Amino acid sequence: MQSFQDLILDLSRFWAERGCVLQQPYDLEVGAGTMHPDTFLRVLGPEPWRVGYVQPSRRPADARYGDNPFRLGKHYQFQVILKPSPADVQAVFVESLEAMGIDLAVHDLRFEEDNWEAPTLGAWGVGWQVMLDGMEITQFTYFQQAGGMELDPISVELTYGLERLTMFLGLSRNVYDVDWVAGGVSYGQVRHQDEVESSKYYFELADVGFLKEQFAGLEREARRCLEAGVVFPAYECALRCSHAFNVLDARGAVSVTERVALIKRVRDLAVGCAEAYVESRRALGFPLLAASGSAVESADGQG
Amino acid sequence: MARGELLLEVRSEEIPARMLRPALSQLEGDVRSGLEAAGLAPRRLAGYFGPRRLCLVVTGIPAAQADETAREVGPPASAAFDASGRPTAAALGFAKRCGVDAAALRRVTLDKGDYVVVEIEKKGRSAAAILAAVLPAAIAGLDWPKTMRWGAGIGPWVRPILGIVALFDGEVVPFELFGVASGRATVAHPILAPRPFEVRGAADYRRKLARRHVVVDFEARRNRLAAGIRETASAMGGLVGEDSELLDKLTSICEIPGVVGGSFDVDYLALPSEVLTASLRDHQSAFTLQSGQALLPGFVTVMDRPDDPEGKVRAGNEWVVDARLSDARFFFREDRKRSLEEHAARLPALTFHVKLGSYAEKSQRIRQLVQMLCDELGWSEEREDAVTAAGLLKADLTTEMVKEFTSLQGVIGGIYAREDGAREDVWQAIYGQYLPVAASDPIPRGRVGVVCGIADRVDTLVGIFGLGLMPTGSRDPFGLRRAAQGLVRIVLEADLPLDLDLVAARAVLLYGDRLERGGEEVLSHLRPFLENRVRHILGLEGFAYDEIEAGLAVGFGNLPDLRARVRALHGRREDRGFLAVVLAAKRIANILKDTREHVFREELLREEAERRLFQASRDLRAEVESAEGKGAYDECLRSIARFADVLERFFVEVLVMDENRDLRQNRIALLQSIQRTLSRTARLTEMVVDRAELRKE
Repeated sequence: MQSFQDLILDLSRFWAERGCVLQQPYDLEVGAGTMHPDTFLRVLGPEPWRVGYVQPSRRPADARYGDNPFRLGKHYQFQVILKPSPADVQAVFVESLEAMGIDLAVHDLRFEEDNWEAPTLGAWGVGWQVMLDGMEITQFTYFQQAGGMELDPISVELTYGLERLTMFLGLSRNVYDVDWVAGGVSYGQVRHQDEVESSKYYFELADVGFLKEQFAGLEREARRCLEAGVVFPAYECALRCSHAFNVLDARGAVSVTERVALIKRVRDLAVGCAEAYVESRRALGFPLLAASGSAVESADGQG
Repeated sequence: MARGELLLEVRSEEIPARMLRPALSQLEGDVRSGLEAAGLAPRRLAGYFGPRRLCLVVTGIPAAQADETAREVGPPASAAFDASGRPTAAALGFAKRCGVDAAALRRVTLDKGDYVVVEIEKKGRSAAAILAAVLPAAIAGLDWPKTMRWGAGIGPWVRPILGIVALFDGEVVPFELFGVASGRATVAHPILAPRPFEVRGAADYRRKLARRHVVVDFEARRNRLAAGIRETASAMGGLVGEDSELLDKLTSICEIPGVVGGSFDVDYLALPSEVLTASLRDHQSAFTLQSGQALLPGFVTVMDRPDDPEGKVRAGNEWVVDARLSDARFFFREDRKRSLEEHAARLPALTFHVKLGSYAEKSQRIRQLVQMLCDELGWSEEREDAVTAAGLLKADLTTEMVKEFTSLQGVIGGIYAREDGAREDVWQAIYGQYLPVAASDPIPRGRVGVVCGIADRVDTLVGIFGLGLMPTGSRDPFGLRRAAQGLVRIVLEADLPLDLDLVAARAVLLYGDRLERGGEEVLSHLRPFLENRVRHILGLEGFAYDEIEAGLAVGFGNLPDLRARVRALHGRREDRGFLAVVLAAKRIANILKDTREHVFREELLREEAERRLFQASRDLRAEVESAEGKGAYDECLRSIARFADVLERFFVEVLVMDENRDLRQNRIALLQSIQRTLSRTARLTEMVVDRAELRKE
């Protein structure tokens, strides 16, 4: 049976062979692989791009003190971006499942409508949740807008839920029992203590006053960076604002009206970063447009 | 095979189930009207769809448009030829404009004299050529609820198009759309049968798809699934309930009608059956298995493949169902650590509307309203239970279960109240508070349920109207139309003599200073809004619009009374006497237009006919008043019908607009009094009567 890290290796190899830059997780707290600048910023503008990476994704409100066999405060996504979306992307996606050892000749694979929207990123897309034998294993999204901007060309995003996939392939009933290493260290041995303690922090310890100050401070910092014309530091501040908001939300410290206002503030930063990013790339002459024969291929999916 | 047959298949990545049927009907309509506009009306048109394709089979399309001869008229013959009979410069210019040699000029005699003309043969265009323009326009022109672009900004369409089959009598109709060229190759199933194959026509297409297990006809697929689901259920020792909405959805998410059953741990049966059913239905699109009234620990759903050779599909679905039910049980246990009353204590933290306050405040208002309603209706025995139910009505909105299964709001509260040992009419009222949702739903059971259902809806309607947030067009974010519809149905079906204006006015007061509009203004908007729902519901009950308008014009406050009036009107629809009075009432209304009130004096009666009208009208008033007091509106209308002859005679023999002012004013006064009597049950002038029809009989 496939271990957690086997899946990571299989997916990494598969997508690297199809011309993706094999990127690493972003070194800041993010809620999803989409927030990694190699997705959020790279899908903007005309430059082609292909990337794959694992992204630990934090959802403080989903934390369960390590007690719930399915829900986690932090889970791992394998994220792929193909820009522009290739015509045969569904077929290539199916191959990626086979590369993980899933024999689709004996499974039921379906694509159910599921449109995606990230209000804090000013982003939305159209697509499906991919269901394998009734289990959602991947989010498959054609991005239409990001940072409040219409996208052209269109990127397709594939987000594999690594814990779910591993559990499902082994029909395991508890995420903590899953093998991280085949026959060796388990997911629980790697992650359980982190889940317990992070839950305690999110729900009991997090200092609301400090986080609110942090949010405001980071917001100011992001604005300063944007004014100075440095996009990445500005975007990192926006990401940290977003995480502070998520912790405050899990802590139950955000009222309904405050919630709307805070989301808008994060969104404004994200939109500002997106616009600044496109301008900065334009100033550089959209370098990846000219690149040919590099890792970026817009051909038939076989990079 | 010159049958005039078109086969069109648009194959795409998976189209959302809910959009398939509307898209297919539009495609059918647009292709048909495109052909008709070109003079190529087809004989028959059939459509098919699955998640990955929309198909049309059209037969009896004429092979080509009819040929036409067009005649271009040039200069008069006298100016076209010179004395020696050679064409002039004018004639040559005309021939050139028409693109023909001077030799083609012919001389004809028209009404206005002799002219030269050119006759041009216009070949009708072939059906294939017409289709090559009609098809891509129809496909690209579909109105999807949400579209997307893909690749290098291609689109918009609902999902990327993968291939197009377009064959007219076996020949490819060539066109290109979104970078895809039409052809004769298709794919049955992307995983199980991914190799493209070519087709020759509709029959060949269906046969080759069927060989690869794809059933492209929706009804056939639905029937196969329904049969398969029954078989699987019975093999597992159970039955599935009727759920045609779920069956439709399942038919729309697969092209190969495979059925898979599975079981779950029997311990989950300790969960309320509503929770089990909702979890399986809403999250897994699966039917629950029943045996009699009891649920069995099993489910049945579909797969987009014919079989499950290694049991993987079953095992996978069982795993997911187990995870879902384990979640549901977790939520249930968490929720049950508190009583519903303790859940209600958390309502102050739950916002109903930012400007209208929390659900705790809403509950408080509902408590006041149900007391008022019980008092109005004289339901003193139910008063206490209604107050208890009102206090718990919204408590389940704070539960984990309702956060997870929003479709179970109300139901969950009802179940928890029952488990807490609440009285039956209390938990039933909570359970059924959102009824009716669909047209086929019943209204809440029992008096407590009825008053809670009314109070909750009136409170919402008044609150949102009080902020000036009336629904506009298709925008109705607070579901006010549904709330109003439910309110009107409850009042009508429970037959409650309630003055809704009064209830709404009380609801306005209970909001204190929270509303941004005055009470009068709220009611003046709410009343026509409710009237529209009344029109709709009475229309569904089979009453004609003029009957409803005539009834509404005299009174709205008490809905069962209104319906009784409308029903009486409906019953007199064929009564010639009554219809004659309706016509007379219209005549009276015309005469009385712009008149002032006058005092009637018996001594001024001159003519026999007016004397008799006066006496008859006195009798009529007495009869109508007495019948109306008993709510016997048909009796009122029958009395009115008997009044036809004397009225008619009056109009034949008496001139209302007499030269003598006193006589004239006296007759106007008499008619004014008659008009008041005639308008008590309904405003008769709203009724539409076909005079010709009436005279014929």
